[in-house]
Amino acid sequence: MKNKIIILFVLVGCFAFSQEGDATKVTYKKRVLEGAEVDFLASYYKQDGVHSAVSGGIGSEKLTDFASNIVVAMPLNDDDVLTIDVGLSAYTSASSSNINPYNATGASGGRGGDDDDKVAVAGPFGTPWQASSGASASDVYTSVVANYSHSSDDRNFVWNADVAFSNEYDYTSVGFGGGIAKLFNDKNSEVSLKVNVYLDQWRPIYPTELHEYAKYGSNFLNSGFFNGVSVLDQNGAFSTSYLPSNFTSWTTSNRNSYSASFGFSQVATKKIQFSVFFDLLSQSGMLSTPYQRVYFADKANYYIGQSAYIPYYTDPSINSSRGVYQLADDIERLPGSRFKIPVGIRLNYYLNERIAIRTYYRYYWDNWGVTAHTTSLEIPIKLTDKFTFYPSYRYYTQGKAKYFAPYETHLSTEKYYTSDYDLSAFNANQYGFGLGYTDIFTNAKIWNFGLKNIDFRYSRYDRNDGLNANIVTFGIKFVEQ
Amino acid sequence: MKKIVAIVVVLVGVTSCNSVKEYDKQYINDPDMKLSARSSERYETTFQVYREAALGANGGKTGGGCGCN
Repeated sequence: MKNKIIILFVLVGCFAFSQEGDATKVTYKKRVLEGAEVDFLASYYKQDGVHSAVSGGIGSEKLTDFASNIVVAMPLNDDDVLTIDVGLSAYTSASSSNINPYNATGASGGRGGDDDDKVAVAGPFGTPWQASSGASASDVYTSVVANYSHSSDDRNFVWNADVAFSNEYDYTSVGFGGGIAKLFNDKNSEVSLKVNVYLDQWRPIYPTELHEYAKYGSNFLNSGFFNGVSVLDQNGAFSTSYLPSNFTSWTTSNRNSYSASFGFSQVATKKIQFSVFFDLLSQSGMLSTPYQRVYFADKANYYIGQSAYIPYYTDPSINSSRGVYQLADDIERLPGSRFKIPVGIRLNYYLNERIAIRTYYRYYWDNWGVTAHTTSLEIPIKLTDKFTFYPSYRYYTQGKAKYFAPYETHLSTEKYYTSDYDLSAFNANQYGFGLGYTDIFTNAKIWNFGLKNIDFRYSRYDRNDGLNANIVTFGIKFVEQ
Repeated sequence: MKKIVAIVVVLVGVTSCNSVKEYDKQYINDPDMKLSARSSERYETTFQVYREAALGANGGKTGGGCGCN
């Protein structure tokens, strides 16, 4: 089948490149980009849920993220454009804070609110239902992408190349790629091909109890963090039997991603155009997340904290479950390769001078057993010649990966396992709106830059497994005069 | 997969001979008719890539560069 797909795209490519050139001979060459353009973008994202992957499929998924980007596009000459995109994203996460949930002032110590039932304890304790104050509670993601593009004199052929770098506390990525696009049929049709490679590197951090086990071996309950700390069994009795023997540290920490994206777009009529996308994605290396706990159904349960809370461990009610944290049996284990095929189509219809209709559909398949459908609809409504209001709706549904199972249902004899609900079966509804201001004459100016566009956008995301999120985005664009 | 190949062939065959002249593209050239996601959608796409298993086929990022799914 792969060969058939390749042959198909070779034929499409030959067809495209064999079309007659534009009837109009190039006598005047308009600059690809008249002047420099600067985009400032920022967003605030907030989510909550009850299926934390770090806590093995239960627990708070509270997360807030503030992200901003500056994108500068500079014309180097009539044909060439250099685009630099610099981004910064700072987040705080209850889920990732519980990589180490055991601290004196964190989840179980410094909480506010209803403290009526606080129980005095000497040792560390935690809860999957609240954030701890551990170092992993927050992080900053930085990224830089540089893209260089060149257009032919008749503007019917474009090639581009890009390099990318990003960094987090435990993750670094270097990427590069390039693409070509060919326009034909009087610029009514376009075929494109883009390839990208990302060479990523984890610096794995593990849940505290597993880190200690890896460090001290089978005597770890008398060493390091566990020295003087009581471990409880399911009945709340002290125990020395906890031994996460399934756990081993990762010996490889790289993750490589390769992608090839094919695109075809077509002006169908004076008011309709569409595009088709077809991607082939391959990943290899460490595709698991090293701090996501898994609890086995065939292994005894052990805890740190207050025994009174053990019977209510899976209860998200704050007062009934906040004084104890279950020790991991292992971290998630996923195969070292993954192959993904998404196919998408976008179709836009200009209904009249006030209303346009933007639609999108995607089918997704991968060899981990996930299939998914995505569809979205946006209807931009021109309120005036400068203001556009655009309500939007998106529906997403996916089947579960064959390696997913909920909290305490995997067996220790399985080869691969995860309790990350992002790989479970669910559907999600996202609805929102945007308000755009566009001044094509750029009358408002700052120095020699004119204000071209302001965009505000809000969306609400509801997943049927209990996760919900809100996101607000603001963008402003200036063009050099 | 055969369906996908058939759909692409049909789309290419049926539409690529059609031609709308440049002077008739005032509607097609409207900013709301762009065949790409809005720049302000990029952060929504980012969180969707983290929170969902599927990604790609939207003319944008196709994976890698983050510790996401």
